[in-house]
Amino acid sequence: MEGSKRRARYVLKRLIQAVPIVLAIVVLNFFLLQLAEGDAVDVLAGEAGSATPEYMAELREKFGLDKPLIVQLGVYLKNVVTLDLGYSFRHDMPVSQLVFDRFIPTLLLMTSTIFLAVGLGIVLGLVAASGLNTWRDTAISIFALITYATPLFWVGLMLIVVFSLNLGWFPTSGMEDFAMFYEGWDRVVDIAHHLVLPTITLSLFYLALYTRLMRASMLEQAGQDYVTTARAKGLTERRIVFVHVLRNALLPVVTMAGVQVGALIGGSVIVESVFAWPGLGMLAFEALFARDLNLLLGIFLLSAVLVVAVNLVVDIIYSTLDPRIEMA
Amino acid sequence: MNFKALLMGATWAIGLALSPITAIAQNSGGNLVYLVQPEPPSLASFLSTSGPIGLVAPKIYDGLFDYDTDLQIVPSLAESYEVSEDGKTVTFKLRQGVVWHDGAPFTSADVAFTVMDVLKQVHPRGPNSFREVTSIDTPDDYTAVFNLENPAPYMLRALSVYESPMVPKHLLEGQDPRNSDLATNPVGTGPFRFVEWRKGQYIRLDKNENYWKPGLPLLDRIVGRFIPDASTRTAAMENGEVMYGAYGAIPNIDAVRLREMDGFSVTTDGYAMINPMALIEFNTTEPPFDNPAMRRAVSLVMDRQFLIDNIWFGYGKPATSALSSNFDKVGLYRSGLPNYPATGDLEAAIKELDDAGIMPDADGVRASITLDLIPYGEDWRRAGEYMKQAMKPLGIEVELRYEDVPTWLNRIYADYDFEMNVNYFYQLPDPVLGVHRHYGTDQIRQGTHFVNSSRYSNPKLDALLAAGAQEPDATKRAEIYGEIQEILATDMPVANLFEMEFLTVYNDKLVDHATSAMGAYGPFENASITE
Repeated sequence: MEGSKRRARYVLKRLIQAVPIVLAIVVLNFFLLQLAEGDAVDVLAGEAGSATPEYMAELREKFGLDKPLIVQLGVYLKNVVTLDLGYSFRHDMPVSQLVFDRFIPTLLLMTSTIFLAVGLGIVLGLVAASGLNTWRDTAISIFALITYATPLFWVGLMLIVVFSLNLGWFPTSGMEDFAMFYEGWDRVVDIAHHLVLPTITLSLFYLALYTRLMRASMLEQAGQDYVTTARAKGLTERRIVFVHVLRNALLPVVTMAGVQVGALIGGSVIVESVFAWPGLGMLAFEALFARDLNLLLGIFLLSAVLVVAVNLVVDIIYSTLDPRIEMA
Repeated sequence: MNFKALLMGATWAIGLALSPITAIAQNSGGNLVYLVQPEPPSLASFLSTSGPIGLVAPKIYDGLFDYDTDLQIVPSLAESYEVSEDGKTVTFKLRQGVVWHDGAPFTSADVAFTVMDVLKQVHPRGPNSFREVTSIDTPDDYTAVFNLENPAPYMLRALSVYESPMVPKHLLEGQDPRNSDLATNPVGTGPFRFVEWRKGQYIRLDKNENYWKPGLPLLDRIVGRFIPDASTRTAAMENGEVMYGAYGAIPNIDAVRLREMDGFSVTTDGYAMINPMALIEFNTTEPPFDNPAMRRAVSLVMDRQFLIDNIWFGYGKPATSALSSNFDKVGLYRSGLPNYPATGDLEAAIKELDDAGIMPDADGVRASITLDLIPYGEDWRRAGEYMKQAMKPLGIEVELRYEDVPTWLNRIYADYDFEMNVNYFYQLPDPVLGVHRHYGTDQIRQGTHFVNSSRYSNPKLDALLAAGAQEPDATKRAEIYGEIQEILATDMPVANLFEMEFLTVYNDKLVDHATSAMGAYGPFENASITE
């Protein structure tokens, strides 16, 4: 009882602390983005081929780009506080709707990648550590090294060449079959089918990281005094590994996974681009080149919130994994 | 566990993403998935001539005319037209029984509204195309009379669905056309009607069952897909997931490979109305390019054929004049002009500089300049590297600059902070529409993109351009444009490099997609998929 109350108080405290952090990130991003030459109107007018200066001035007025910077920032902050992310003039849609639409594919890809990378990484790291310096260890280490060192876009393209073009098992790109527009369960299967290659590509890189981290962490824990104690008590090797060592060894892996959820949103730009996966990374990338600042700020805000939230969750998982870590 | 979580995630997402799409019976014509690259900012073709908009919007709207592959006028929404003796009145007879996708009838009021209140006001090129139009009379629902200030023969070449789409008056009247729902939810009279646009994924158009051409369109559905990565676009084409990609959606390097494969074809047809020309713009107001000899020397030294063969895989034709040789069909092109050697002439270039007294210093350098490159892809970067090499023996030291699109546009068209800029322009089906904007004094418009950034100003040329625009007589007009081309080949404010040939790559199952001069910017009403 006491514990759960303390936990609730802790979560609340962390959430309150997060507000100034997120706001600071917004302000910083706002000024950082102003450093880029040109604005959304330049891009729109450039794409149109020819536009009069009057028209461009009119557009700037409409977008609010003619106002002094500090006023623009004030307007934006005021909107953010009321949970209004503003309007993307390029897409002619509210930012919140755009971001939300693209957040779902990102979430799908992110979730499947985290599960595959962390899950398989833990298993491989465990296997490697428990068979230290055997052929299994060597094979896993080499595998990890190669996948870590290979550029993501190349892995993606090679998977497309082998599994789409040569074997014909998976589609090359996209999230759905756009000639057919399946519905219901057919659609779920279709999306899952499209998800396989991007997930594998994105996972391979992180998988290597978790495998190596898990292996090192297992080895470090195996030398600790408590393991010797456990052995002295006469516990089986299996129990020592799975009950005692594994729990402790997971802590760094969980930390890493928490940090990387944030990176995954942005880090999947390459995978999203190669597989035409309609996620947030591509949206941010395009928004940057279109100088669609409202949209970019919205995406950054969402990422910041997500990172803060995931870090909180990670801290809670810590205390579950290792009761010695207190929440205060 | 992993799989279950994945499935749960997927189910949840789908619950949110499911949209009310009604199942449509699959029959005869099939569903075409084609490449739209990049994703368009909107579908407002009445506001913007942006390339990707042109790939989609002409399937939804109609123009007054279409143009066949010989650039001859084909009736579309206008069944016939008549130009008065003095050239100052053009009367269009409109097709009867045409309805908008929302069921409202199409009438002459729509035409008058589109031209006077939309195209002439907000279209990037409309104010130029329709600049002589003072008013439009609508004596009845199916007659539109254009009253002109001066004869404007070029106007009849600007009436395609890509250049001048007819838009519904009843959905735009009383609003600012720049700020209307029609931009993302288009309603036209064309062969396909807009269904759905999922950002980052696709635009879906379904067959217009009430299209005015009997029995058309053949396809049941057209889906434009956005795939950001060029290699993936090629893979999707190879895998049959997309069947058509135009305007370099499949890069030349892959197109030449697909060309050799069974089941795929590559064509350069369908770009005659666009007439793209690669070129160099010089800043004629500042040294060193305020001296015409410098500009001529650069034009002389360029091996245009080398650029075409090695960077564009043989697709293209060396430029020989300010006008594309495609204007030969209408008699405006002049051949045999000086300063345009196809394979470069280093000796002539050196002589040009020596004669002008521009001598190398002790290090053999005559000038050090920065060359800006259009940020539209790797090809241009490679072209820049070649040009740097080519100009070195002339004693011109070149530094390359490659920036992102907004920065570059600002530099060239707002700040004029450049010396030499590689670019390309659409010359369009008439010089008045696409070429005048590059040379006229009235086209020095600071802040407007793709106009006279060289800031070249020549009263004699201005007078010729004005005369050329209004001259209805073909022979006299050819004379005027001949003289214009002579002046430009000597003064060389812009050195044209080569007539670009964009590539369309398509799956052989797709037939009859290029039945008009508009190619990819056309309506696709005759296209179908055969098994």
